Amino acid sequence: MSSAQIEIQLIACVVAVACAIPGTFLVLRKMAMISDAISHSILPGIVVGFFITQDLNSPLLILLAAFTGIITVVLVEYIQKTGLVKEDTAIGLVFPALFSIGVILIAKNANDVHLDVDAVLLGELAFAPFDRLLIAGTDVGPKSLWVVGTILLITITLLVLFFKELKVSTFDKGLAASLGFSPAIIHYGLMSVSSVTTVGAFDAVGAILVVALMIAPAATAYLLTTDLKKMLALAIGFGIFSAIFGYWVAHWLDASIAGSITTVLGLVFLLVYLFAPSKGIIAVMYREKQQRTEVSLLTFLLHLKNHDEIEERHVNHLNEHINWQKVRAKTVLDLAQKNNLIHIENKVVSLTKKGDKFTSKAINYIITNEDTQIEDMKDDFFLFRG
Amino acid sequence: MNLQEYFSLVFSDYTLRTITLGTAILGAVTGMLGSFAVLRKQSLLGDAISHAALPGIAIAFLITGAKDSNTLLIGALISGLIGTFWIRGIVTKTHLKSDTALGLVLSLFFGFGMLLLTFIQKQPNANQAGLDKYLFGQAATLVESDVWLMAIVTGICLLIMLTFWKEFKILLFDADYTKTLGFNTKFIDILITSFIVLAIVLGLQTVGVVLMSAMLLAPAAAARQWTNSLSVMVLLAAIFGAFSGVFGTAISASQNNLSTGPVIVLVAAVFVVISFLFSPSRGLLFKRIRFIKNRRDLELHKTLTFMHHIAETHEDISHPHAIKLLNNFQGYTRTTLQKLVDKDYVELHGNMWSLTKTGFETAANLYTKQSTEDE
Repeated sequence: MSSAQIEIQLIACVVAVACAIPGTFLVLRKMAMISDAISHSILPGIVVGFFITQDLNSPLLILLAAFTGIITVVLVEYIQKTGLVKEDTAIGLVFPALFSIGVILIAKNANDVHLDVDAVLLGELAFAPFDRLLIAGTDVGPKSLWVVGTILLITITLLVLFFKELKVSTFDKGLAASLGFSPAIIHYGLMSVSSVTTVGAFDAVGAILVVALMIAPAATAYLLTTDLKKMLALAIGFGIFSAIFGYWVAHWLDASIAGSITTVLGLVFLLVYLFAPSKGIIAVMYREKQQRTEVSLLTFLLHLKNHDEIEERHVNHLNEHINWQKVRAKTVLDLAQKNNLIHIENKVVSLTKKGDKFTSKAINYIITNEDTQIEDMKDDFFLFRG
Repeated sequence: MNLQEYFSLVFSDYTLRTITLGTAILGAVTGMLGSFAVLRKQSLLGDAISHAALPGIAIAFLITGAKDSNTLLIGALISGLIGTFWIRGIVTKTHLKSDTALGLVLSLFFGFGMLLLTFIQKQPNANQAGLDKYLFGQAATLVESDVWLMAIVTGICLLIMLTFWKEFKILLFDADYTKTLGFNTKFIDILITSFIVLAIVLGLQTVGVVLMSAMLLAPAAAARQWTNSLSVMVLLAAIFGAFSGVFGTAISASQNNLSTGPVIVLVAAVFVVISFLFSPSRGLLFKRIRFIKNRRDLELHKTLTFMHHIAETHEDISHPHAIKLLNNFQGYTRTTLQKLVDKDYVELHGNMWSLTKTGFETAANLYTKQSTEDE
């Protein structure tokens, strides 16, 4: 590995961590799309900053861009408060308008300089090591590493200092307000951090990757845990993994690093989405199938309880009368037998004592619909819930 | 070229006519379908889909190796639909919320598309130049066949919309009720969503990925302010969209270095701002005026009640009192007093005021029953 390769991976990892932290809170606060809006609407801020300083590396650019990000949030909130449109519509109205202004400003005034929309939106990590920070003539490393590193340090400091406040206000705004920390300050603090992170990172990796790095690791982590600290740790872990693995994929394919990091993020999310132990699609579908079987079982037992006639309780009758397919009928029958709820004699099904007791309780529950009733039932009978 | 020249040229010049017609049709169809997106609270779906279409474009190019815009659009349509259904899957099957799902699909698909694009650029195929036009859009690349395609799709949209109007409408406002009526909600739902995706994909070439979502939202959001009726809203949104297209094209053609997409979006934004401010029933301006008027009425009532309290202590309700008495009362001003005189509730004699009989009665009944005269 050359030193440039190490530096690129290091920058990618630092960006990933810096994005994952505010991203986790954005996802939890249902504000994920704000990051997309900010990443687009900072454009006019950058352009205006460039006109003032004529220097793409000036810190004023970052300040102005972050300021535009905050303006976006404020505008969205203002429009939403008028009650004329819903929040998502407000977001969708504000950022394209600001973005358009940015594009037009560039087209009208900056055609001859190195400032185009592609560069702002797409970014190129591979060039990051060439832009060095020189202090008194000595090379101290890539500039973007310093910029994003500083932002990350500030983010971590704020996170540690205000962890409790952030946590409470994320999950219970009312409680946070009654405990005396202003939800508005925390909200705007979080928005400022997201805005600054977006601005600091887009230069290195492009706006879209910033959005991906904010949302994807947090969403992936959210599928695996509901504990805030674990979620943060997992999100950071997924971010770092995707950054490094994505770099090598890009190296192998000779393609955009940002693009391949995003693709790896997508694959990681897809895997977790499918296979997460309790919230993955496969687990959810399995659970739904089990629940369907349980409901069928219950219907079947109730049917038995209501009918004393032999012909109504014949095994073959089940298929026709309750209208199940053969497979389902057999599953239900086996399940009931395994749990000692029924016994079968000469192909005639009847309830056992346990089955009878269970069915009575079930009817009781259905009639009263009280949750406390079902708790006992779970303990006593539901052996098949796993 | 200035605006007048543009309008004189638009009928004779082939390029101008094609672009103007194209953007007008695009604006109309996105406005129409956008109304449904806005009312279904799927405003940001457009943003997500327009980004999600990118890998489809790239893959279509990789498979066919040709830059035929119809093939690319089909690729975009397929990946847009996959993105939409994945968003739906995430929202229904997991506890992730719709904004997270939108943001995820948007950024992941777009990133994957970027990966493919850069991969394509490394291929020894000279044909690939210009694929990135889809990112930012370029109305100038519109040719007559594109406009025909748009017109045909718009026609089909219109036909489907008129056929299923009742179903669309009822699904929009009460999904559960629709289900109980026995309609196939899933089918109607997929139908609307597919057409929204189709409209977005059509617009990619003209205004680009980033600005397409605004085209879907802005005309609809503007139209919403003027009416409570769905049919009027759809019609208005289509008109606003078409006008944004025409004006945007006109302005960008009359200036140098002005890309059409952003200008169209800004024109649409102007429509939104005007609607937000000046719509008679919902607009901010009239709301403010109504608010001020209500506050004035309230102050008038306050003054009257205060006078009523004083007058009550006297046997003769029209016993004159000094105006000075009202001085520490906040609702009182010279103008409110004059207004009360105009309404014949109060009589002024020099520095003294006295309640009239009607004034006394109105004040007494002010908070017990609605007085019809003050409405």
